[in-house]
Amino acid sequence: MRMDRLLQRKPRKRRQITLYILLALLIMLFLIAALAPVIAPNDPNETNLASQLQGPSAQYPLGTDSLGRCMFSRILYGAATSLFSSVGITAAVFAGGTILGTVAGYFGGILDTVITKITTVVQAFPRLILAIAIAGVLGIGLGNTILALCLIYWTEYARLSRSLVLSLKNRTYIQAARVCGESHFSILVRHILPNIFPSLLVTATLDIGAMIMEISALSYLGLGVEADMVEWGAMMSAGRNYLQTNPWLIFIPGAAIFLTVIIFNLFGDKLRDALDLQ
Amino acid sequence: MRKNNVSYPLSGAGKAWFLGKQAALRLCHIGIVLLGITFLSFSLLHMAPGDPAEKYLTGGDGNVGLISEEAIQAQREKWGLDKPFLVQYVTWLGNALRGDLGESFATGNPVVTELWDKIGPTVILALASLFVTLLVSIPLGVLCAVYKDRLLDNICRVVSFVGISVPSFLSSLLLLYFFAMKLQWFPVISRGGIQGLVLPVAVLAFQCSAKFTRQVRAVVLEQLHQEYVRGAVARGVKKSRILFDHVLRNAWLPIVTWAGIYFGVFLGGAAVVETVFSWQGIGQLAVESVASKDYQMIQGIVLWMAVLYLAVNFLVDISYTFLDPRVRLGKRGDRL
Repeated sequence: MRMDRLLQRKPRKRRQITLYILLALLIMLFLIAALAPVIAPNDPNETNLASQLQGPSAQYPLGTDSLGRCMFSRILYGAATSLFSSVGITAAVFAGGTILGTVAGYFGGILDTVITKITTVVQAFPRLILAIAIAGVLGIGLGNTILALCLIYWTEYARLSRSLVLSLKNRTYIQAARVCGESHFSILVRHILPNIFPSLLVTATLDIGAMIMEISALSYLGLGVEADMVEWGAMMSAGRNYLQTNPWLIFIPGAAIFLTVIIFNLFGDKLRDALDLQ
Repeated sequence: MRKNNVSYPLSGAGKAWFLGKQAALRLCHIGIVLLGITFLSFSLLHMAPGDPAEKYLTGGDGNVGLISEEAIQAQREKWGLDKPFLVQYVTWLGNALRGDLGESFATGNPVVTELWDKIGPTVILALASLFVTLLVSIPLGVLCAVYKDRLLDNICRVVSFVGISVPSFLSSLLLLYFFAMKLQWFPVISRGGIQGLVLPVAVLAFQCSAKFTRQVRAVVLEQLHQEYVRGAVARGVKKSRILFDHVLRNAWLPIVTWAGIYFGVFLGGAAVVETVFSWQGIGQLAVESVASKDYQMIQGIVLWMAVLYLAVNFLVDISYTFLDPRVRLGKRGDRL
């Protein structure tokens, strides 16, 4: 009974509308981040001790922080830091992990064993702690944070693409292509990659949200970005001492992180539905 | 691995031999992984910039130049930092096997002692969080699967979406603000008591349950769609019996695996939550050690986490033997 209902066609149209709304929101986010220098009413790093810890006003739409810096401008600039580094990391691990995982799954043998073992070892650690350790060894800074997260997250794509390739490579059409004399490279590019791409894309969309959270968590701990960089987690860390008196210093950047992450997560979820993936 | 996939007879001796061999193989594997991890972290730390001996003696950047080069050199020799890399690693490994992880570069205390002091609070936090997570996620996940797309399922879906999208430092600070500062029900700084445990456990359990409930739901749903459930329904077996005797027994394995993984993650130390609530655990220690470039301590923490994770995995694997008759008979792996 239930099975039959599941197999019935989904109410396609409504889902897709939600998907497009979310896509529009995402594009808006990226536009805001890219145009931050144009939109921002004030210089995000300009301190003004005469106007510290103010409420919202015409000059400072979201008030000012403990050094009199414009919160609104800092939120806008922070969006650029979070979004672009998260997308960059995700793109890098997507490409690297997929290549390694596909090669491992397709060719098997010693290469597969080595890649799988490395993946297991890296995944053995709680991610944030490993990121903390790598960032700590490399030194504090956004570049090193990005590198640390890349070193950790590629394993997810390697593992996923490997298992997807394993489920595909013995299919008849792949064997047929092989028998017809198609090269391994061509099979990988023309038959395997297009088939595993949707699943990986959904994972990547969901990962961007996770990445934003990881970067801000590291920054919150003081290990993520340089001290003079504008970033949401770092803003929350700076506002920590004012939690009692000026909680908005923390809750505004917190809300920014939450909203951005939830848009990415919802989009990933709807994308999965739209692509009909499990 | 493949060779082990032959099914073994039920006889006691053969079974014991098979299990013993499996366990021995796993232990060997664990040893190799541990060796790899420690070597890797050791070389990473070795390459890291900065001289720990100088940092230790000068106590920061302000006093650079006040300490004589000879004193720094002497400190380096005391810690063995003047030796070649491999000698340092082998020495460290030898000492580690005897339970000596060296002295903290920051405080001069033995790493083992400091780790031991912090493991207690982290274990308490981990156990409490896991307990609450299981208590919430398993019943909710099963209910959501049984009543798929009904009100409860939809509510859970929204809540878990929020749960996985809230960074733990935000939820920690929100709870801290409302329950510790505004309502003053709990202390702002945890001192290890039950009172101080509530908020950090709430944050960790909420975050973890958000994922775990969905995973339990997915596993149970998968089982509910199996042919055997239809068969049982057709035979007129009672619904509760199908759920508890058939579905849950099959869903049990992945649930145990995930619970083990989450426990490992909790034991690794929840860096953010421990820091926000000033909970004196491994996570906070890790953050502090990184900030003060205490490489010896970081090495110790890395080792602790590696041992921990492998131990949890090992135990999960062993528990399969008791939970799944297919493993007990040595038939597992047919699907691999």
